[in-house]
Amino acid sequence: MTWIALIFILIWLATFVTGQLLFKRAMDFSSAAGFRDRRTIFTLGVGILIMTISFCLNLGLLQRFDLSYVYPFQGSSIIIIAVLAAIVLKEKLTPRLIVGTLLIAAGVVLVSIS
Amino acid sequence: MPVNRQSSASAARTSDRPTGFRNPWFQFVLNIVGVVIYELLLKAGASATADSAKSWSWIGINALASPLTWLAIVVIIVDLVIWLYILRYIPLSIAFPLSRTVDVLVPISCWLILRETISPLRWCGIALAIVGLIIVAKPAAELEQRL
Repeated sequence: MTWIALIFILIWLATFVTGQLLFKRAMDFSSAAGFRDRRTIFTLGVGILIMTISFCLNLGLLQRFDLSYVYPFQGSSIIIIAVLAAIVLKEKLTPRLIVGTLLIAAGVVLVSIS
Repeated sequence: MPVNRQSSASAARTSDRPTGFRNPWFQFVLNIVGVVIYELLLKAGASATADSAKSWSWIGINALASPLTWLAIVVIIVDLVIWLYILRYIPLSIAFPLSRTVDVLVPISCWLILRETISPLRWCGIALAIVGLIIVAKPAAELEQRL
């Protein structure tokens, strides 16, 4: 893998994680104030924009690598998202959830390096 | 306390949670199936239009020349709506790890449909991910009981 590939994969991961957090935040806003709420629309809009960038980067990566090789990199976002969900969204992380999440991430990383 | 506010808000949201087709867990399964379908379509569309000689091909725009990519986009949009619906009812820290079921299903689908090869080490990784998914499924089941 070249440096440019690594950079694009990292940007892809960052946009994907940010998009997911914005989606969840938008749905929290929509539950509290409905879909016409300004915060819901803004957060969802930014989330969709960032996810679109992530999607384009995904296509670029898929053109160069096997899907079964590229895709598992997204799996490393599991830990990042779980941690940020606890910090940013104040969700509760139980020990069991942490262990399960780490195992999934380890499995996915193993798939990606094999 | 923000945490308590959020917990009570979640409880209020989920107390009148829909059942049947609109059940978030049923939609969750649909979402995973959708992800597997659009990933395979994207790979097929991207491969059909790949031209790595162009430096700007990293952004993947030329993949839009394939109808398969557009079909994938339709599935992605439907899947996004389903995912947003799921997030209204299920915490991200549970929903997202469980959604990684696709990390197991996609390589297996690649092996079955696209004839890509899977090494023994990759099979071990898939097995490890499955164990993790089973462990995460327990908090999800407990969440379900509380709802």
